[in-house]
Amino acid sequence: MTQNQIDIFRESIPAYVLGAMDVEDARELESHLQTCASCRTELADYRAVSESLLMVSPAKTPPAALRRRLQGHLPSAQKKALPRFAWSFNQLALGIALVVLLALNISSFLQIRSLQKQQTELTKQLQSGQTVLAMLAYPNTESLPITADNISGTLLVDKSRNTAIILVWNLPQLDSTQTYQAWLIDPEGNRTDAGIFRPQADQPYTSASIYSMDDLTNFTGIGVTVEPAAGSDQPTGERVFKVDF
Amino acid sequence: MDDTQLAAQVAQGDERAFLTLYDRYASHVYALTMRILRDPNLAEEATQDTFLKLWSRARLYLSERGSLPVWLLTIARRTALDRLRLEARRPTLSTGEDPEELWQTIPDENTTPEESRWHSMQFAVQSLSAEHRMVLELAYYQGLSQTEIAETLNWPLGTVKTRLRAAMEQLRREWGEK
Ligand SMILES: [Zn+2]
Repeated sequence: MTQNQIDIFRESIPAYVLGAMDVEDARELESHLQTCASCRTELADYRAVSESLLMVSPAKTPPAALRRRLQGHLPSAQKKALPRFAWSFNQLALGIALVVLLALNISSFLQIRSLQKQQTELTKQLQSGQTVLAMLAYPNTESLPITADNISGTLLVDKSRNTAIILVWNLPQLDSTQTYQAWLIDPEGNRTDAGIFRPQADQPYTSASIYSMDDLTNFTGIGVTVEPAAGSDQPTGERVFKVDF
Repeated sequence: MDDTQLAAQVAQGDERAFLTLYDRYASHVYALTMRILRDPNLAEEATQDTFLKLWSRARLYLSERGSLPVWLLTIARRTALDRLRLEARRPTLSTGEDPEELWQTIPDENTTPEESRWHSMQFAVQSLSAEHRMVLELAYYQGLSQTEIAETLNWPLGTVKTRLRAAMEQLRREWGEK
């Protein structure tokens, strides 16, 4: 690597901490950072600056109603609405996952046929979903097969972004007292709650995206079990599938 | 009680600890989401979402990785930027804060050392040139990449990169001096 290239890496660190680097450049910088201690020091310095920028807007008191509304939301939010990992079951994530899947050329006839049915809707979603697409369309996205009795699908994992998408076909519907719950599994076999999800009634596949606040590299796999509707702190029910990263 | 202890109690489902943290940081979260979204209703929703995430994810907060306000405001920034993309709003070409507002937040005797450091950063940002402040604003508070900034401002990409770097170098000097 020439001195010139090294300087370019160093000079791009301010843009990197602001999240303003173009995606491919950011990848290259990240791999350089793994081997360059002086750039890591530089990164830590600039990180402190970008963190301080979170605080530079003069404080503004939000409307008092917000505090009361939050209080009302708390009991239900703890378990159900927002598990420890933010799940978005929106169609957007689904659409993007399907496109990525297609791009990865994991094709069974059935999968492609159901994809085609969704095509129009998907195109719409894509227009607003470039960010998520950008996030998932990296070469860094790993695609892992999900296989179990009568179930097949794909797990897309991007460890550098702490993001994963589960996409499964033929996941059985559950009655209202039960839910599917995902778990991140660490090397010691401990399970960390990664959120609950339900099959989409009108579609042959189910998708759920996980954004982990914790480093995904701390985990070695994802498992899914059937749990009581509110979810559990630890797995109690039957395992549906497990995928190792 | 310090932030780390409160966060640990929130993780146990303690509503009072949650409200204490709300009272401590809601005005910073709201200020940041207002800066990003520039709409009181959207900012209020983003503030609500941020605190619901605090409630449901407090167990994931690790004090050795950074202070609670930085963690919370990182969540707030991401939440607001996601919302901004969803609204598909074009970035506003503002250069940030109204300087008048800064004088309303002069540190007093209750100000912690960390807070007074942030106050001095407010002035550091304010003292950037208009062009430097603009690229910083578009990058950090509007979530644009350097290429998008170049397109938005119709500047050469190289100019965007140079100005963004210069702005950050200046802030780093100010920050390092404290
Ligand atoms: Zn280096």
